[in-house]
Amino acid sequence: MKKNIYQPIKAVIEEVIEETHAIKTFRLRPEAEFNFATGQFIELTVPGVGEAPFTPSSDPGVKERLELTIMNVGEVTSKLHTLQKGDVVGIRGPYGQGYPLDKFKGRDILIVGGGVGLAPLRSLLFSLFSGIDNYNKVVLRYGSRTSGDIVYKTLLPEWGKKDKVDVLVSVDVGDSSWPGNVGLVTTVLDNTGVDYSSAAAIVCGPPIMMKFVTLKLLDLGFQPPDIYLSMEKSMSCGLGKCGHCRIGKFYACKDGPVFTYEQLKDIHDIWD
Amino acid sequence: METYFLKNDDLLKFYERIEQEYDLYVPVKAESALKYEYEGKAKLPAADYFLKKFSQVNKEEIVFNEYRTVEPTRAFLTHYKEDIGNYKERPQALCGIKNCDIFSLKVQDFVFLEGKEVDPLYKARRDNTLLISGDCPHFKEVCFCRAFDINPYPAEGFDFNLSPLNNGYLLDVASQKAKMIALSLKGILMPATLGQLSGRAAKRESVNRRMDEHLAQHKIPKKEVLQEIVLSGYNSGVWQDEMRTCVECNGCVFMCDTCHCFLLSEDSPSGNARRLRLWDGCLLKNFTKVAGGANPLRLRYMRLRNRYLKKFDFFIANLGYQACCGCGRCIEVCPGKIDIRRILRKLYEEKYIPAN
Repeated sequence: MKKNIYQPIKAVIEEVIEETHAIKTFRLRPEAEFNFATGQFIELTVPGVGEAPFTPSSDPGVKERLELTIMNVGEVTSKLHTLQKGDVVGIRGPYGQGYPLDKFKGRDILIVGGGVGLAPLRSLLFSLFSGIDNYNKVVLRYGSRTSGDIVYKTLLPEWGKKDKVDVLVSVDVGDSSWPGNVGLVTTVLDNTGVDYSSAAAIVCGPPIMMKFVTLKLLDLGFQPPDIYLSMEKSMSCGLGKCGHCRIGKFYACKDGPVFTYEQLKDIHDIWD
Repeated sequence: METYFLKNDDLLKFYERIEQEYDLYVPVKAESALKYEYEGKAKLPAADYFLKKFSQVNKEEIVFNEYRTVEPTRAFLTHYKEDIGNYKERPQALCGIKNCDIFSLKVQDFVFLEGKEVDPLYKARRDNTLLISGDCPHFKEVCFCRAFDINPYPAEGFDFNLSPLNNGYLLDVASQKAKMIALSLKGILMPATLGQLSGRAAKRESVNRRMDEHLAQHKIPKKEVLQEIVLSGYNSGVWQDEMRTCVECNGCVFMCDTCHCFLLSEDSPSGNARRLRLWDGCLLKNFTKVAGGANPLRLRYMRLRNRYLKKFDFFIANLGYQACCGCGRCIEVCPGKIDIRRILRKLYEEKYIPAN
């Protein structure tokens, strides 16, 4: 029998962390060392149910473990959410082009996250933190629907205390228990202290959020090559063969999932 | 490349020799439901051909197919549903392959053999496949290879090629594999004469001419403008108009020889789940649906447009030519009579022929 490029390796669930009522972080221990670059994605198999693509939310510097922060929305994820410590899943990858850290050196970095879209960005933040001297400053603006939907509740304040790091969380709909900012994430991008003419912006969230954040960033003076978007489509093979994730002349799995807006701006209906 | 003459009476010996080393598939005539009614003048053949296993047919059933078979050749290289974790490949020989199919195999090769990873199952099968192609002395109403400068006879990409001539065939021997087989068939192969070669050239000219006459009425745009017209036609009403009769059977995709999309899946709810690969298709409703319900191709016209963008923009940008060989299988299979020739023509006319 020959090598099967679509065959996952086993990974044991070591811990399940409940982030919100619908989102859990799974800490996995793969049966072999698993390397990935921040922003690359993997295919996760729930045995007998199927596969789905996710971008790890953990520090790529940690080789023996892998964390995935996953919302319960579909067939694979709803089964996954019933799994517990000790259960076994499959993983294969990593696939695609991640965040180009080299291009961020010496610049202000504005990171804009929406909802569970903070998951890949957490991996990016860990990477940035471990080489923080290379960057001018890191500004995170995170939007969540309600305060109950915020992920990494304990980490966010810790990040905000770090040197050269600024964090602001905003919720779309406020309530009496939420002391922070209320408003869409697009309303907290104006006075960030970031030099918009030279900064890099990294956006990850639901398509509608990415659309309006991109428009806002262009408005603020960002150039299309400086806006990095995570375009996660329906991806099955991860290798540019199965044909599901075409965006114009690209495949999201092979040419992305991280694209600059420059690459995508002339393609129709990219936000659909 | 060496060319020999093989008498009609000896064709079976040729097949039997191939059969010693390969699972051989040969063309047989078949009654099929795929009758495309044509309203024009030309009297065109309506028979259909399938490939069947040589070992399982009555030898008198075997024919020389005058044009491509019903099934796409890619069906012999990736199966509709297969276990990709556990396979054993026996060498196979495919007879009756036409130049449109050979063109399509270039697209399949690009998908499965190029890029960061080679698909090992496809590669094993491709390497183990002997292609015995043939000229097309005729064509079907739906055939339009010449519209995209693909000839109804191959010049390369085969191991053997058969060109019917008088009471036999000219046999081109192209590959090393083919040469080895030809060596063992010396008794029945005679070097082709100049007269035979020019006879073949004249037959080829004749089918070209007849096909060009037939295609003139369809006004199919040249391959050089395909990318431009599908991009400029993004917001055209053509997609909506043409989609009205689509019943979402996905037949156009499954019969297409250049389509390649697939879905990885598992087939058992517990234990040793097998990893399956299934043909998928972009005309199916959930092709691009993501968990949570969002679906970039949620409407039928979007899916039709997507298919054309993939074939005529994506592939031209990434491979250098279109993912369409002009075999017409999609036209023939469509219960809604959606015709790729008509869609391309309309897109072209919308761009280049101003409405008055």
